[in-house]
Amino acid sequence: MVDITEMTNWGVDLIDVRKTYGRSIHALRGVNIQVGRGEIFGLLGPNGAGKSTLVKIMMTVVRPTHALGTILGRPIGHHGKLARTGYLPENHRFPGYLTGNQVLHHFAALAHVPGAVRKKNAGRLLDRLGMTKWADTRVSKYSKGMLQRLGIAQALMNAPELVVLDEPTDGLDPMGRRDVRELLVELKESGTTVFLNSHLLSELEMVCDRVSILIDGLVARQGRLADLTDQTVEYRISYTGNAAAVRGKLVALGATVDEGEAILAGCEADKVNHAIDLIRAAGLMIDSVIPKRVSLEDILAEALADRSGSADAAPVARPVSP
Amino acid sequence: MQFWTLIVDSFRESLDRKIFWVLAGISVLVALAMLSVGIEEHGMSFMFGMWEVETGRYSPLSGLGRANVAGLLVYILMSFFLGWIGVILMVIATADVFPRVMEHGAVDVLISKPLSRPMLFMYKYAASMVFVLIQATLFVGLTFLVCGLRWGVWLPGYLLSIPLLVLLFSYVYCVTVLVGVKTGSTIASILISLGAWMLFTVPVTAVQTFETYPTLMKQERVYHAARVLSWIPPKTSDIQIFAAKWAGAGSAFDLFPKGAIKGADANQMGRAREMDEREMQKSPLMSIGSSVLFEAVVVLLAMVSFCRRDY
Ligand SMILES: Nc1ncnc2c1ncn2[C@@H]1O[C@H](COP(=O)(O)OP(=O)(O)OP(=O)(O)O)[C@@H](O)[C@H]1O
Ligand SMILES: [Mg+2]
Repeated sequence: MVDITEMTNWGVDLIDVRKTYGRSIHALRGVNIQVGRGEIFGLLGPNGAGKSTLVKIMMTVVRPTHALGTILGRPIGHHGKLARTGYLPENHRFPGYLTGNQVLHHFAALAHVPGAVRKKNAGRLLDRLGMTKWADTRVSKYSKGMLQRLGIAQALMNAPELVVLDEPTDGLDPMGRRDVRELLVELKESGTTVFLNSHLLSELEMVCDRVSILIDGLVARQGRLADLTDQTVEYRISYTGNAAAVRGKLVALGATVDEGEAILAGCEADKVNHAIDLIRAAGLMIDSVIPKRVSLEDILAEALADRSGSADAAPVARPVSP
Repeated sequence: MQFWTLIVDSFRESLDRKIFWVLAGISVLVALAMLSVGIEEHGMSFMFGMWEVETGRYSPLSGLGRANVAGLLVYILMSFFLGWIGVILMVIATADVFPRVMEHGAVDVLISKPLSRPMLFMYKYAASMVFVLIQATLFVGLTFLVCGLRWGVWLPGYLLSIPLLVLLFSYVYCVTVLVGVKTGSTIASILISLGAWMLFTVPVTAVQTFETYPTLMKQERVYHAARVLSWIPPKTSDIQIFAAKWAGAGSAFDLFPKGAIKGADANQMGRAREMDEREMQKSPLMSIGSSVLFEAVVVLLAMVSFCRRDY
């Protein structure tokens, strides 16, 4: 994993981003997000949380009510840096009269990618996304998944330093999803910063270094995925036999005891070992000891519960500047 | 590179439009129809000589001569065909340019490129002009060639109709774009801009009516208000006058002075002729200049709206 504190610069550094649509739709209410260079960052949250609004602000599609910070070390909207950024919008549409290949060339030319480079990259990306066969077919004849693959290829045509992907696996079949995950890891290995939006939590868990949970336009949780999911771990010890004799002692340790199973909340190994000793001493047979990591889904659910409890989330601390 | 990329794209978009080919087809048909007409010394032939009409030396046609017949045809084509139907068709053909650009999902990728919004707007506006320029060149070019090759009448001034047509189109199109950007609706932008075109002519028509019927002059205030107002909107009807004048078809006015249509007596007819003469003297600089100023303001409003939007 990339250690962000070793970075000389943030890939994305957004400070106090606010957006009010019209008079009363507060889509973002002061978002702070920092993404290290070469990191895969996941932004998650329920529908309508403001995820797309945030990336649209990053890509200058939506004008923020207020926004500070930098992208690739320059202010938002810097043309030189936009040329080094790739973007896959949600529900994108390409002109139906263009072929897949023409789409790639057209948009890359607008990002100042020279012809020879475009040709090379288009061939490589179409191949990588399994679209070579369709390269010369008009986009109007594409299926949803094919369009999505083309969209991803389009976002990578300029060999970007930063890729911003809004629901990249939307509309893709399971194989396609796996392809995209592998692609993201490849990008990261080549030093590209990846910023992605998704509500497919399990997918984020597989590839993201860090995540932010956005709820109602505010960051409710932010951190390394490992830290967030490490914080709370539970162990399930299942056994065969009657545990009546040790039940009291196990409960005293803090375990919940069920038929054939004791659940220990927390991640203290000594407690777990102690519980195992107790069960063994009672002459019971241990079948398995399973540590259960807390999933992103649990964290999201918890964050949502917190939000509905209090009107305003606690401000999220800004990570130490690199 | 961006400029050419966008122009090439607009070109592809044009070729993808059925109406592009319909317009091109109309130009070819009109040219063919003209080709089938022959102008001889004592008459005319139609349908490639299948039907001949002897007009004799007392016919008004023989009096006008070959060049005037050609000039008259050009005048009719310009003022009726191109000035109305042509521009309406071209507005319909290009009205969806901005609504299409601004479609959700389509606009996002475009705007996220290192391309400023005012530039994107201007490129797209220019692309529509190129579309119209192509169509106007096709129509005027073909009919120009027919006049020259078939009838032996070369009217170099007629070629000025090409920029004049683009100009006339742009007078109307600025409103199409403004409505398109504000509402995102192609239909609304077509209807409203064609309606605006009619409105543009109201003050001028009012002034002309006053001047033809002096009894109305008692309403002096209304007359003066109309005169002042007539300077604000684009002078769409002037374009046809300039086109006819520059093509050398000015004598066509002698045949059809405007007042004649209103069933006027000899006196009124004379005044109408006088008015037409005055129209022919109009300064293109003032007319076109003030119209372009109006257009610039409307385009600026559309551009500001285009740049300020969230997509
Ligand atoms: N153009 C717009 N005009 C007005 N309101 C908007 C606009 N775009 C988004 N919103 C509102 O802003 C809020 C955030 O929307 P956004 O699309 O950013 O959510 P999201 O997190 O991407 O949701 P999803 O997971 O469904 O894609 C919503 O309440 C939405 O209704
Ligand atoms: Mg979204």
